[in-house]
Amino acid sequence: MEANEMTFAETVVSVLTSKFGGTKDNAAKWDACVVVPKEYLHNAVEFLKNDASMQMDMLLDLAGIDYLTYPNHEGPRFAVSYAFKSTKNPGRRVRLKVLVSEADLNVPTITDLYASANWLEREVYDQFGLVFTGHPDLRRILNHVEFVGHPLRKDYPAQKRQWLSTTDFLVPELEKRLEDKGYKVIQRSKEIMPVEEEYLEGSIRE
Amino acid sequence: MSNEAEKPNFITTSLDFLVNWGRTNSLWPFPYGTACCAIEFMSTEVGRYDLSRIGSEYVRFTPRQSDVLLVAGTISYKQAPILKRMYEQMAEPRWVIAMGACASSGGFYDCYCTVPGIDHIIPVDVYIGGCPSRPEAFFEAMFDLQKKIKDESYMKQRAERVKDQLEMIKAKTEQAKAEAREFAREKREELKEFVAEKEQKLVKKAQFWKE
Repeated sequence: MEANEMTFAETVVSVLTSKFGGTKDNAAKWDACVVVPKEYLHNAVEFLKNDASMQMDMLLDLAGIDYLTYPNHEGPRFAVSYAFKSTKNPGRRVRLKVLVSEADLNVPTITDLYASANWLEREVYDQFGLVFTGHPDLRRILNHVEFVGHPLRKDYPAQKRQWLSTTDFLVPELEKRLEDKGYKVIQRSKEIMPVEEEYLEGSIRE
Repeated sequence: MSNEAEKPNFITTSLDFLVNWGRTNSLWPFPYGTACCAIEFMSTEVGRYDLSRIGSEYVRFTPRQSDVLLVAGTISYKQAPILKRMYEQMAEPRWVIAMGACASSGGFYDCYCTVPGIDHIIPVDVYIGGCPSRPEAFFEAMFDLQKKIKDESYMKQRAERVKDQLEMIKAKTEQAKAEAREFAREKREELKEFVAEKEQKLVKKAQFWKE
């Protein structure tokens, strides 16, 4: 059984290396991890999902990495890590990694292949500031709309707090979703703008 | 006379006692539960510990009908405006209990997203330690709050509250009196003129008939 898994990992690495110009990530000790060039990422993910020999039909996780203070690291500052799993062949897992330099923060989106990537990519955008090109709705998901900066970057001071003045206005998204389902919005709600006295002390205004 | 009335006397102290008695024994909590402290509050409220023994019979999930805002759990900066609005919506008299380490001081969340204690946003009456606090600690906090309410003087607060109103009413009355006096003076002058005119006319008429 163990031998089979090893062979699968090896085949994945070899296929991705030969087809999409990937390189094996030797830092990953416990699983198969392949570093893929940014321009072939979408093709590689499509191959992993649809190819009969792979059938990686589940996106487990999508996470950003900031290597700014990482010891002995050379190369681009950011990386995005994709973890895939196969539900048809249990035990098959593979990780893809894309390196992103600070000069060009764009990463191609995979929301057209995996719907679960939508919110995960929004989270990476929110916390690291990486821009996923082609994402249908790239907004902040965890932090407030008034938040300035990206808190999981290593150069963001972890204890720097920001006062916020209003609650997030989420009704337009709700109305859009209802309209997609075939409902008709009779009256559109307006956001009540906060008056001057309602700003909390030290809050950031536009 | 006024000095005599400002001092507490038998009637005001009895009223204070009555009002405080009513307030201490019907503290309706409004749980703002965001973390594990809210679970402890649930066990405080139900049969085993039974918070309704001290009169906190109903948990009201609307700020309009509750007396005690119970902040149980971590408050993030995204929630802070909501909590402030909720506190402002509560009717007087209102009290706040910060339950657990997170609500009191931010707890171990020393980071960009957590408010370091809700006293940065709203005034707090009683703090409870613990992570999460035990139901006994919550009872202790309620007893502390009851002691605090018993020390309050409703009549004194009321006097302070109506002081401004009284002054405003006095000023308004003065103004109205002055206006009335002015109006009366004008009327009197009008009447005098009218009488003088009439007299002149009568004099003229008398002269005409004489001729």
